[in-house]
This record gives sequence, C-alpha cells and structure tokens, in this order.
Amino acid sequence: MKPFDIVIVGGGGAGLYAAMEAMKTNPALNIAVLSKVYPNRSHTSAAQGGANAALANKAKDDSVEMHIFDTIKGSDYLADQDAVDVLCSEAPKIIRELENIGTPWSRMEDNTIAQRPFGGAGRPRCCYCADKTGHTILQTLYEQCLRKGVLFFNEYFALNLSVHGSRSRGLIAMNMKTGKVEAFPAKTVIFATGGYAKMYWNRSSNAAGNTGDGQAIAYRAGIPMKDMEFVQFHPTGLRKSGLLVTEGARGEGGYLINKDGERFMARYAKEKMELGPRDLVSRSIETEILEGRGFDSPAGKYIHLDLRHLGADLIKSRLPQIREMSLNFEGVDPIEEPIPIRPTAHYSMGGIDTDNFGRTVMDGVYAAGECACVSVHGANRLGGNSLLDILVFGRIAGHTAAEEAGKFEPGSISEEELRESVEEIRTRMQPSGHYERYGALREELGQTLALNVGIFRESSLLHKGIQDIAELKERFKKVRVFDSSDVFNTNLQQVLELKNMLDLAETVAVGALAREESRGSHTRIDFPVRDDEKWHKHTLATLVDGKAIPGEKPVTMGRYELQERTY
Amino acid sequence: MTEIIDQHQEGKRDVTFRVFRFNPQVDSKPYFDDYTISAERGITVLRSLNYIKEHVDATLSFRAFCQAGICGSCGMRVNGISKLACTSQVWDELDKCREPGIIRVEPLRSLPMIKDLIVDMDPLVDKMTRYSNWIDSTMPLADMGKKEFLISEEEFQQYDKATDCILCASCVSECSILRANKEYVSPAVLLKSYRMNVDSRDGIHDLRLAELVKDHGVWDCTHCYRCQESCVKSIPIMEAIHAIREDALESRGPRDTSGAKHAEAFMEDIEKKGKLVEATLPIRTNGVVWTLRNLLPMAMKMIVKRRTPPPPPLVKSAKGIKIFRAMFREMTEHVKQDHLKSHKK
Ligand SMILES: Cc1cc2nc3c(=O)[nH]c(=O)nc-3n(C[C@H](O)[C@H](O)[C@H](O)COP(=O)(O)OP(=O)(O)OC[C@H]3O[C@@H](n4cnc5c(N)ncnc54)[C@H](O)[C@@H]3O)c2cc1C
Ligand code: SF4
Ligand code: SF4
Ligand code: FES
Repeated sequence: MKPFDIVIVGGGGAGLYAAMEAMKTNPALNIAVLSKVYPNRSHTSAAQGGANAALANKAKDDSVEMHIFDTIKGSDYLADQDAVDVLCSEAPKIIRELENIGTPWSRMEDNTIAQRPFGGAGRPRCCYCADKTGHTILQTLYEQCLRKGVLFFNEYFALNLSVHGSRSRGLIAMNMKTGKVEAFPAKTVIFATGGYAKMYWNRSSNAAGNTGDGQAIAYRAGIPMKDMEFVQFHPTGLRKSGLLVTEGARGEGGYLINKDGERFMARYAKEKMELGPRDLVSRSIETEILEGRGFDSPAGKYIHLDLRHLGADLIKSRLPQIREMSLNFEGVDPIEEPIPIRPTAHYSMGGIDTDNFGRTVMDGVYAAGECACVSVHGANRLGGNSLLDILVFGRIAGHTAAEEAGKFEPGSISEEELRESVEEIRTRMQPSGHYERYGALREELGQTLALNVGIFRESSLLHKGIQDIAELKERFKKVRVFDSSDVFNTNLQQVLELKNMLDLAETVAVGALAREESRGSHTRIDFPVRDDEKWHKHTLATLVDGKAIPGEKPVTMGRYELQERTY
Repeated sequence: MTEIIDQHQEGKRDVTFRVFRFNPQVDSKPYFDDYTISAERGITVLRSLNYIKEHVDATLSFRAFCQAGICGSCGMRVNGISKLACTSQVWDELDKCREPGIIRVEPLRSLPMIKDLIVDMDPLVDKMTRYSNWIDSTMPLADMGKKEFLISEEEFQQYDKATDCILCASCVSECSILRANKEYVSPAVLLKSYRMNVDSRDGIHDLRLAELVKDHGVWDCTHCYRCQESCVKSIPIMEAIHAIREDALESRGPRDTSGAKHAEAFMEDIEKKGKLVEATLPIRTNGVVWTLRNLLPMAMKMIVKRRTPPPPPLVKSAKGIKIFRAMFREMTEHVKQDHLKSHKK
C-alpha cells in the first residue's frame, strides 16, 4: 500500500475532528481513518449531557477564566494549567464551529446556542442538544468527513504499531471483513481510540469496545501511560449491565434507599442528600454496600434508586428514557418498583502521555481524546469537559500531525513484521488440550477491578488486585479462539480486546498502589488525605521487559495555587 | 447451600433462538441453528446472543457495541421485524413467536450479507454521500467559529426528531421498494436529506433536491408506511418524505417526473373543483394503487395545510373507482392525523 502521511486510529469525536483539521491544514496529504466500528457507532454517541464552553449565552458574566478555574479545581489540582488554558480558550470557538457546520444545538429564546448548568461548573455553560449531544456532534463530524471525502477504513481492527528505533513507521491492522492483516505504512499515526473503563466489564457504563486498544498498542510499543489510576465512577449504574441511569433521575427527586429502607444519603450529605457531587454519592453507595446494608443478588450487590413517589405521570413525561432503560435492562418498571443500581466505571482520566500538541514521546505518534492524557482532567473530569477535550485536542493533534508529517521519511513495514502479527493470531486459533474461556476471564477481570481497584482502595486490596491480574494474564495464554473463520471473526476480536484490557489493567492497579494519597477519583482508605508534598505529580507507567515500570512527571502550574477542593 | 434470593428474578423461561447462519467461506447457502437457553425476566435478545456466543457457540457472529440502544450496531430481524437486539426483551418476544417458544433471529434485509447476522452497511453510506447528507455551510470560511447562526425554536423543531436517527437500518430492511430495487434512495437517507434541506445553515438545498427527484429517488416511495412503523426511534419518516415531495413541487414546479406532474394536476383538481377530471386523472395511466400511494397523501397534505379537506371527489366512471373512494377516505384520515400529530409536538 502507498504510504500515508497520516493514519488516524479511531472514528469517534477526536479522530474525526483530527481528520477534518488535518485535511484543512494541508489538503494535499494522504490521510486515512481506521475504525473498528463504523465511525457513527463510536462511543461519543453515548454522551447525553453536553459540552462546556464559556459562550456566555446564558450567564452573561461567564468567562473563559472561570471555566479554567472550575476545571483546575475539579481536577483536584492535578491538571496541567497550560493545557487547561488551551482547552477553555478554544472552547467557544470550537462549539461555534460545530454549530456553523450543522450540529443541531438546542436554542435559547434569543435563538443562540442553549446552555445549562452542570456539576462542578460555577456558571451554566454546558451546551447541549436535548439529551443526544454526543450523538449529534458525532453525526455532524461524520457527515462533514463524508463531504470532504475522508478515506475511511471501517471495521478495521488495529493490532500493532510498527516501531523502528525511536520512531513509528505505521500501523498494522486486521480487516474484519476478510480477516486479512494489512500494513498501513505512515509518516504519522494519531491514536484516538477512546477510553478504557470497560475493563471493569459489567461494572462499567461504557460500550463493549471501550477496551483501551490504542493505549495498549502504544504501551506495548514503549510509550508511557499517564495517571492511569484515575477512573471516574458514576453513582448510578444498572446492577446487571453497569449501563448508566443519568443524573436526571436524582435531579427530579429520586431517593437512594438501602436494604433497611433508609434514605442513607442523610448520613453523608445532610443538605444535598441525593444531589451531592458524583464522587461523594458513589462513595456513599459503596459504603452502604460494604457495611452490609445493600441488597444481594446473583448479579451482585446493589441498592435501590426509588422513583415511585414521583408518580407515573412525572416519570412518563420527564424521565421516559430512564424508565425505558430500566425496563429494557433490568425488567423493572420504576413506576412500580425501585431500580437496582450500583456505581459504575464511567470515564478514564488516564491515558497515553501527550504534550499540549498531541505529541507522544515517540516521533510521529500522536494521541487525542479519551485515550490521551494531556492532562486537562487531572484526578477528576468535570461533566461536559470530555466532549470538549476530544474536540479541542482532536483538532490540535490533526493540525500538528499535518504540519509535522513532512519531517518524517515515509515508513515501510516489512513482510516479516506482518507475519509476526499474523503468527500471534494463528497461535490463538490453534486448538489446545487445556483452554480458558475468554468470557470468564473478562468477567473475572471486571470483578477483581471493581472489588480491589474500585472506588475504595487500600494497600492489601491493591496487592490482591495486582496478583489477580497477573494470574489472569497467565491464564490468558491458554485462551483459544473457536471461530476459525476469516470473515468477521468477532470471537477473535474479543479475545484481542481482552488482551489489551489485561495489559492496561496492570497499569491502573500499579498506579493506584503507588499513589499513597486520596485525590479526586482516587480514594485510598489507608491514605485518606491529599498529599501535595509527595504526590502533586503525574504518575507514568512504561512497559519494560514485560513489566509496568513506574515513573513520574511534574504538574505544570500557572495562575492558580494549590487549594483544598471543597464545594 | 443457601440460595441467594433475588426479588427481581421471579422466574426463568426456556427459550429457543432459531438463528440464521451463513459463513461465506464454508456455506453454499444459509441455514438455521437452534439454541435453547433459560432466560430470566428483563434479559434482552442481545444479552441472550452474547450468552450463546460465550457459552454455547463462539462462532455465532453479530454486531453490538453500546448495548443501550444508542449506537445502531445491533439492527437485526427478531420474529420477522427489524429492530435493535439490545432493546428487545426476550419475554416480550415470546408473545410474538409464530411457533411457541421459538424466537427467530435473522439479519436485516436489503443489505448484502457478510456473515450470520452481519450485513454490509457500505451501500447505505454510499447513498448518504450520493444525496449529500451533510450541511454545506453558508458561513464564510473566514467567519467559521467566530459567530453563531441564529436558529429559531420552530426551525429546530423541524429537524429535532430527524436528528434522532442512529442509522440502524431497520427501516431500510423493512422498506418494500428497496427489496425490489437496491438502488432506491432508502428511507433513512430520505430522512437525512429532509433534515439537511430544512436547515437554514445549508447552502445546497437545490442541488440535493435535484438529486432526490431523479430516478430511484423520492418519487419511487409507495407510501407503505413500513419504514415509519419500524423506526426504532419512532421518527415520523413519512412526514419527511411528504415534505421533500411538497418541496419538490413547490420549488421546482411540476417539471421533473411524471409523478410530480400528476400530483400537481391531481391536487389542483381536488382543491379547485372538488372533483377529479378524467383528463388529468392518473389512474388510467398508472393504476389505482399507484395513484393513491404516490399522489394522494401529498396532495391531501398540501390541502389540509391550508383548509379543511374536501369531500371525496366525484369521478366519472373509471376502472376500480370503488376501491379508489374507500382508500381515499382512509388515506385522508391517515394524512389528517399525521398532520395533527406534527402540530401538537
Ligand atoms: C454514558 C456516557 C455518557 C457520557 N456523557 C458525557 C457528557 O455528557 N459530556 C461529556 O463531555 N462527556 C461525556 N462522556 C464521555 C465522552 O463521551 C467520551 O469521553 C468521548 O466521547 C470519547 O471520545 P473519543 O473520540 O476519544 O473516543 P470514542 O468516541 O470512544 O471513539 C473511539 C474510536 O476508536 C475506535 N477504535 C477503538 N479501538 C480500535 C482499534 N483497535 N482499531 C480501530 N479502531 C479502534 C472506535 O471504533 C471508535 O471509532 C460520556 C461517556 C459515557 C460512557
Ligand atoms: S413508505 Fe416509502 S420509504 Fe417507507 S418503507 Fe414504504 S416505500 Fe420505503
Ligand atoms: S430512521 Fe429510524 S429505523 Fe431508520 S435508520 Fe434511522 S433510527 Fe433506524
Ligand atoms: S448495541 Fe448499540 S444500539 Fe444495540
């Protein structure tokens, strides 16, 4: 294949914006977007809430400066202040740009883009399109990419980066439709493969494919991961599937009830009750369960989200989607019964370590979106800042790669290298006497993570988690693919995704054990307070000889001094 | 041993999934496999398929991603109807089985088969491209990102529902015309085209419309309503199709196709004279059913918009006029209700 100037891995918001911007920067470039699902299926479509930007359409006194402060405070001061500066200053421009090219934002009375309040923001600056913001943003970007004739390789599964010395020569990927392993020689590669929170499996709100593939590929190529221990939990996931019951349910007045029938939030947030911040509510629910006040079921322990007192009319008119979710995924009608819920892994703050231009430490390799860690979210992401992150830094990465592609020689990928990737797959497909089921391993990984590397962490738990992961990795060697077909082998794909999750899970657990403090989403029972002296820094994990080697990186400060984070 | 009691799990039912299988590498033609599992209340068709894949047959192939009815990956036919597997309840489906206890699962129709329940979506993407399913912004490049268009609530309402589409292709699979003519534009693409055409930010309305009135375009639709009935997001697709046709007549005049010409004459007849004049009556050239499906709903809609609908037209004897009268009444009702609904929103 003719070498590409840029290969973008991922067709979510970050990948598509990168593609558009790269084409705009230099129309002569030869650009390809690879995605394991059709781009419009990407997980960006799941974001309902909205994207933050200080447009000041709603609150006239809102400003970029206030957005910056909210974000830094929200991050528990772990975000890099220069990066946050970029994020928030670019925000109004990027939201308007999306508006200009067709995103159907909801409108205010004066016909400007509507904004609403969102957790952790001092002003109502979250721009939205009803409850389908991510979906409409993704549609817009996909439409525009079709318009510009972006070259898509849909349903291609990225396998490995081709590395020579200190730089990449392109990507190796499998065409799902034919099973063929193909080389994508390229001057530059941009990873935009989304988050890794699905490693918590049934205890995650994420799509089945949010398995951190890009991160794992980069990690195996020697690129460091940053702040992997920070995983955000959302308080209300459905018990069986982990799927999200949005904040709306509590916003409308839903109660959280334990098995003794108590509205237990009174114990943790007397005034705000169910409406406390996400991390606090998550911790409270988890405490109830750990102290034996949860309900029990084969699908795990849980508590109740009770909406019955709101009445059928309100539930039907204001919370129709929540009712549908509950009916569809738990078989429970919230008009008649409480919804069984438990906190769910929702967002990964950590990811591929990049600078403010999307560059990684490896020449020619860039990353953007949830798979990257710039870091703008630090220890805790604010609602509405993640869509913004993928747009702003997707664009920046696209721009940087387009500008820098000329610096690199066109790469070439040898037959030998391709054969290695094929060989890896072939061994998986060989029958063996004793084998392991990938489904069981995947579930066990989710369980050990939720239990030992979950909301509450502690040294002995984390050691147990790390040991479990190591064992799972060992057992994974015996996992076999039973579908021998070349055509659309989803069995094989799921096994490869499991491998990626296992590799990354280790970095999450190792990072969590190293960080002996509590900050943002990371809560250590044995180190309950934030320790700025020792831990006001990013953690890194680099793969050396098959092991995660810890490292660190300073936080870039700016106008804002460290303060206690209280709301 | 004590059993954990789950109050939400009062029972399980044995269900057989009769699943369409086809692997082009080894099978010369498709066949069905039966998988019987025990399904609890609240389990979806997708979760059952996942269970089968993990525990019974790893070769069973289907697409799924969000598992929450958002991404549109898992469109397939369950008991003969195209829908999302991830939002379909097994227990509900048990009530709809042709053979008791057996749920049939098949791939979507009208898209090329790849393997088992997986079909090729590329033809749909190609059509989105052919019909320019994007906004070609009128904002000058230099102003991009600097200012907003001002959009009224009324305008937003016009395309709000249409932007719910998740491109699951259920409507595509149900469309009666597509089964006969793969070139046909497709309901989802008509919907998207409509959404673009009513957006004031867009600058290529005329170009898009010109493509839509060509062969295999908007005039080929037979108004069978099947797309709308099967839409997983309950989008009133037919309204969009009517609107494109009205728009075509209004902004292009009756010049494109025989369809458009007839519709114009037909409408004038009913509106001005309250009756059909044989000379312009398209029944004779195109047949009763064609006329009713193609022209009547649109003509009626155009009239209803302005005033109360006319009484059934007086027509001199023509073949099939009895059926025509009966269907006319029914269709008028259909159109009126559609109209009312869209105004209540
Ligand atoms: C339920 C939910 C609600 C949310 N709500 C909000 C919200 O209201 N506001 C907000 O700001 N954020 C929200 N978020 C977070 C936000 O949606 C995500 O962080 C963001 O969409 C990620 O975008 P992305 O482009 O980085 O990745 P994604 O959209 O996940 O896209 C990843 C892409 O990479 C591709 N890919 C992955 N692996 C491979 C591989 N191996 N080979 C080839 N391609 C691959 C996929 O096909 C996909 O196209 C929410 C998240 C969830 C789960
Ligand atoms: S109404 Fe038209 S587009 Fe819809 S299914 Fe029938 S023929 Fe197809
Ligand atoms: S119109 Fe409805 S059925 Fe058709 S693709 Fe869109 S969401 Fe699916
Ligand atoms: S899996 Fe996404 S819609 Fe069913």
